Amino acid sequence: MLHHTSPHAFQLSVTVNGKLVERKILTHLRLLDFLRNDLRLTGSKEVCGEGECGACTVILNGRTVNACLILAVEVNGGNIVTIEGLAGTNELTELQRSFEDHHAVQCGYCIPGMVLTGEKLLERNAHPSRDEIKYELSGNICRCTGYHKIIDAIELAGGDL
Amino acid sequence: MKYYQPTSLTELFELHSTLSAQSSVFLAGGTDLIPRYERGLVMPDHLIDLKKLSALNQIQDSESHVTIGALATIQDIQEHEILATEFLALHKASYDFAGAQIRHRGTIGGNICNASPAGDLLPALYAFEAILTLSGPAGERQLAIKDFILGPGKTALREAEILKSIVLNRDQYLSDFQKVGLRQSMAISVVNVAFVFSRAGETFNHLKIAAGAVAPTIVTLDKFTQAFVQNGGNATAIKDLIQEDISPIDDIRATASYRKRVLTNLIGAFLAGQTR
Repeated sequence: MLHHTSPHAFQLSVTVNGKLVERKILTHLRLLDFLRNDLRLTGSKEVCGEGECGACTVILNGRTVNACLILAVEVNGGNIVTIEGLAGTNELTELQRSFEDHHAVQCGYCIPGMVLTGEKLLERNAHPSRDEIKYELSGNICRCTGYHKIIDAIELAGGDL
Repeated sequence: MKYYQPTSLTELFELHSTLSAQSSVFLAGGTDLIPRYERGLVMPDHLIDLKKLSALNQIQDSESHVTIGALATIQDIQEHEILATEFLALHKASYDFAGAQIRHRGTIGGNICNASPAGDLLPALYAFEAILTLSGPAGERQLAIKDFILGPGKTALREAEILKSIVLNRDQYLSDFQKVGLRQSMAISVVNVAFVFSRAGETFNHLKIAAGAVAPTIVTLDKFTQAFVQNGGNATAIKDLIQEDISPIDDIRATASYRKRVLTNLIGAFLAGQTR
């Protein structure tokens, strides 16, 4: 993280994975760095750092966003869900299980973002077409799987194998 | 860097007047600003976040027009029913726009004020002849979008002034939008083009074509449409006719001649589809 300007402190209050977090942070801190370094929630990954790849996807106030394109101060008062909090008290969501069942994971780096994006899609549309899945996933890049198994996992989540 | 979140325009302008003007920057969705900040291309002492200006994130309609708050996100535009039915070109542009995460955050105001020659909402806004409402310490004024965007990254915004809303007349025109990039999604346009029109039988009563990434700003192809109508709707010489309206360049995405060819083909396909 570059420090281009003189540091200023900010008292941040934000709900992360259902818990209220209050921290003093510096205003130039990115949300992604706040989650990974301050809260040790390392499921959200940094790859491109400029909003092209979706590896840092988190859910902010019900919408998927790139945590690398947001300053932590901007989410003051907001509600964030990361991959760590997605299943709540359950071990895994149906979609996470489906990623396992369909062998949709190779190196795994993009998978937290893929799962969160897929989860929000299924929330709106329980039976999306493959084209609808591809459209929704267009902000998430994977360089291993060729996408087919990821699309399978979302298409068939909650169904019988 | 100090961070501020004014909740009203009055508060915003009061705040701005107390800060040294050179070193403050307005923040909306941040999808362009934050990466630029990270690279050290913008180094403000004061960051003024506009997102709490709730008057700016509504999309309102009256009988005669639709007013889009500058903070409406690309997703808000995509989901808006009147925009989808009466302003199809704008709706399609919002659909082809980046990926979900960016659409959830990026704003129409940001897309306009960045003044990118390739901005994907811009051709539709030019073709619909959108009027922009600007708000500053001295009050409000209105400008046509073509008079607002002055060059790549350059706008007519004055000191401390912000873009407040975008006004579209509900003229009930038909419209379409096409974008060609190096891949289908998440790609900056090589050419994008919007068509706004109405027809009586075989002839166009109204035809406005606006294209992006073929000049320093979006351009409306007015010389082309005039010549096309005078020609009696003869679509054979498009490549020669658009010559006077555009000035494409070679860059990392495409050559000037490729851009001209793509635009020619997009216009040809549109006209063929209309006169079939």
